[in-house]
Amino acid sequence: MPDKSTTLSPLQIFGMVVILAVLAAFPFFAKNRFYISLANEMLIYGLLAMSLDVMLGYTGLLSFMHNAYLGIGAYIVGLFLIHVSASSLWLAMLVGVAGTCLIALPVGWVQVRTGGLAFALLTLAFGMMFYTIVWKWYSVTGGDDGLMGVPNTSVTLAGIVLGKTKDPKVIYLFTLAIVSLCFLATRRIIRSPFGAVLEAIRENEERAAFIGIPVRLYKLLGWMLACLLAGVAGSLFIVYKGYIGPITMSAFAGAGVLMMVLLGGMGSLWGPMVGAGIFIFIQDYISTKTEHWEIYLGIVVILLVLFMPQGVAGVGGYLKRLRR
Amino acid sequence: MTLALFVDITLNSLVLGGVFLIVAIGLNIIYGLSRVMNLAHGSLYAIGAYAGYTLVTQKIPFFVAILIAPLIVGVVGLVLERTIIAPMRKRSMIYTLILTYGLMFALDGLIKYTWGNEPRFMAMPAFMRETMPILGTHYPVFRLVTLLITAAVMAALMLFLGKTKTGITLRAAATIPEMVSCLGINMTHVHIGAFVLGCCLAGIAGVIAGPLTTIDPLMGHGMLISSFVVIVIGGLGSLRGAVIAALLIGVVQTLAEFFITDLAMVIVYMLMAVILAFRPRGLLGEGKFE
Amino acid sequence: MKKTALAVFSVWMIVMMGAALPAAAADPVKIGVLVPLTGIVAQGGLEMKMGIEMAALEKKTVLGRPIELVVEDTQLKPDVAVSKAEKLVFNDNCKALIGVFSSGVGLAIAKNIDKLNVPFLTTHVMTTEFYGMHPLVFRCGQLANDQTAVGNVKGIVDRPDLKDRKYYVIVHDYAWGHDAGKRFIDLAKQNNIKIVNEDFDRAPTSTKDWSSYISKIKASGADGIYIAFITNVIPIFAKQAADFGLTKTAKIVSAAAPGPMELEEGGEACYGIFGASDWSWDVNTPVSDKWEMEFWNKYKTIPSDAAVHSYVGMMNLLNAIEKAKSTEAKAIADALRGISFDGPYGTVRISAFDNCARNDAVLTETMAAPANPYGAKVVMKVLKTYKAEELGPPEK
Repeated sequence: MPDKSTTLSPLQIFGMVVILAVLAAFPFFAKNRFYISLANEMLIYGLLAMSLDVMLGYTGLLSFMHNAYLGIGAYIVGLFLIHVSASSLWLAMLVGVAGTCLIALPVGWVQVRTGGLAFALLTLAFGMMFYTIVWKWYSVTGGDDGLMGVPNTSVTLAGIVLGKTKDPKVIYLFTLAIVSLCFLATRRIIRSPFGAVLEAIRENEERAAFIGIPVRLYKLLGWMLACLLAGVAGSLFIVYKGYIGPITMSAFAGAGVLMMVLLGGMGSLWGPMVGAGIFIFIQDYISTKTEHWEIYLGIVVILLVLFMPQGVAGVGGYLKRLRR
Repeated sequence: MTLALFVDITLNSLVLGGVFLIVAIGLNIIYGLSRVMNLAHGSLYAIGAYAGYTLVTQKIPFFVAILIAPLIVGVVGLVLERTIIAPMRKRSMIYTLILTYGLMFALDGLIKYTWGNEPRFMAMPAFMRETMPILGTHYPVFRLVTLLITAAVMAALMLFLGKTKTGITLRAAATIPEMVSCLGINMTHVHIGAFVLGCCLAGIAGVIAGPLTTIDPLMGHGMLISSFVVIVIGGLGSLRGAVIAALLIGVVQTLAEFFITDLAMVIVYMLMAVILAFRPRGLLGEGKFE
Repeated sequence: MKKTALAVFSVWMIVMMGAALPAAAADPVKIGVLVPLTGIVAQGGLEMKMGIEMAALEKKTVLGRPIELVVEDTQLKPDVAVSKAEKLVFNDNCKALIGVFSSGVGLAIAKNIDKLNVPFLTTHVMTTEFYGMHPLVFRCGQLANDQTAVGNVKGIVDRPDLKDRKYYVIVHDYAWGHDAGKRFIDLAKQNNIKIVNEDFDRAPTSTKDWSSYISKIKASGADGIYIAFITNVIPIFAKQAADFGLTKTAKIVSAAAPGPMELEEGGEACYGIFGASDWSWDVNTPVSDKWEMEFWNKYKTIPSDAAVHSYVGMMNLLNAIEKAKSTEAKAIADALRGISFDGPYGTVRISAFDNCARNDAVLTETMAAPANPYGAKVVMKVLKTYKAEELGPPEK
């Protein structure tokens, strides 16, 4: 039985502090800024993968192109910084996340009327719709070329300027802070009665309905949480890259996110973050070595589904079973 | 709007719809009978096209190549079914979906690896490269041949499913699998047969689409999305629904490219979403979900 | 006692090896090469890489140091390209970036050049946004959109079989396509060339089935088609147009030069496409012929414009580094301004005014190739030559 307590044991707190410290110190020891960028990207996609896990691992609903919501968040923040004001990063991010949630709400309302295969296909339909809109709405989004030239801003806290987003270390630490907060918040939410309801829906939707749970409402709430997190990831993305294009919202990129969750292990929240790190590292490494890395991607997904559906997070359980 | 233009548009829609139809029926057969939502269907379609291309470059006559290529895809399907699809059947639908998603990438990558990134053109017999005057317009002969092939495939399928014992068994297995297995028929054979048949159909569609749109590694992606739209609108697993939906989407896509290029596909996706959410059994109400 | 001895010995060995390392003088100059090696224009990217390599091998050294090329695949995606550019500059210590096939990728990198702080020379990009964009951003290679429009319009006006046609304009739906289409239409109208659809058609870059567009063109009664497509789509469109019998009555003029491999695949269906471009292997000067044979012998690939552009671009870059006597970014950039190289397609000069190339160009038509050493079946035959001054843009 997984540990469902909401409080953290002293050991867990110590572990988290150590991990956080190591991650925070990383940019000061990294060989050059390219590695900082890579780590930054891992954090952002880790957040996105975690958001997908809320849907897939906890609510049991497959969202095929969840990266669409990262894209939407990124575009909104980017457009805000370019056209409205480049002075307040927090405001831009707030607008971005709010905008993403606003768009995700009607989509979610339609989607939660179904489940299983139909839900998955619906996410595909909406994902393709957003991808096509972004691609075609040339005047606003820059179409195929994407949104470029997002201005640099500064990170402020209570009026004190902490650093400029031009500095990779600043962006990295900022991203780390936000992602950590999101992780802790999501963990808290998942371990609350709300999370238990989501898991009940995952196990058996009909039975959950029978005991009086408003299934659609909870599915919608889970969806909103997942899209909110994806929107946050999107804001971090545009601040980091200064660029967003429809490719980030494509079906192919969506498969990548799915793979991260699978690699790391569904239903563990931290697993997908590790999965994201592994995936990005492999993708970066393999794509330098061979142009046929798609074959490897596909084969790895197949092998994972067949033999290791619990991913990295499940390794512990797997080893335990071996020892018996 | 002249008569020539109208005929052009109508024929274009029929040709496009015809290809959608063959792909969609294959997808429906695999879903209804083999109980797998095959996201790799587009890649199998592409393999059919490339197989046809390779056969033709090896100096095999065009019409012979059209017969052999689907068989090749069928064999590929057989191998896939036995090795990776069958073990997944007991698991939940989500895992199967993810599995076929991964399969799609693996197959696409293999296509790029074997044939490279460049678009390929399928050589056709000389008479097919001409245009024929029809009702005021000049229309390419090979497109008319494509229409004939589509009609022939549909007729053959209807005969098979309606009149032959195997066909009737397959239809029964789609509706009441338990009863069919009670009658002593081996359901594993049904699953395999359905999967292979679906793959062959994808192969046929691929090989006739080759001359239409040129062959390139990404041809499967576009077809996959379109065919999903078709089977959702027609109703998952419903063959009659697929006919209507395929023609509908063929017309919509052709008209949309003609008039308002921009929002066309968005409207199509919205239609798919609306049907999935509010009328999941499809237009004819014959679809089914697990 | 033994352990200490072993430790001392190891330290001594390491120190010796460190001292034995090659001296700084032989430390190579690293140049980052960004080309698409996967995706639809992989062939073009490969040809660019070959051209750049050929120049590097010919020069052998720069500033007395060996030249090292670090090649990264942009995958034709702007964000991947920017990541790879960062890797090349920060991780691999490249002193300059060269290459890039598409305007989208080129612009994305150019907008990040402050962060990267090295000179960036594109050798195939056609966007006009590079004119005077930034002191570190340079453009050479294919004619820019405005130069191509001038070349194509002049070509149409000069030829009786093209001048009086009614042109239907259709482009790929992204920045480069829009720009190319608009410039052609504006210039064409000034020169009394008839345009059928001023709100030109925009087709998604993924379009494979051109039947709807072809039906539209047929219905419009146009007998000329101006296309601005990514090069590998040109033969696809031409073939489908031929299938519908459209090319019997209409002539195609293209804003971008098709690659030779793509023409080979398209074969007969690709005959009769006009276009202004800097070069084709039909150019018969001694310098060009010599370069073509060297390229063919080395790579066994039909010499393409992507390759020759990148070759000349690399030559200009290496010469600029020599001239600057330094690998410092600003020095190389200053040396690049005004530099020129005499190569297979004449003198290619990088204007000191706007950092972009000026060179002569040719008007070509695709047709059946005469006997040639590359086994090519299709050739872009040179119909006339333009001087650099004719194409502009003015440098003041």
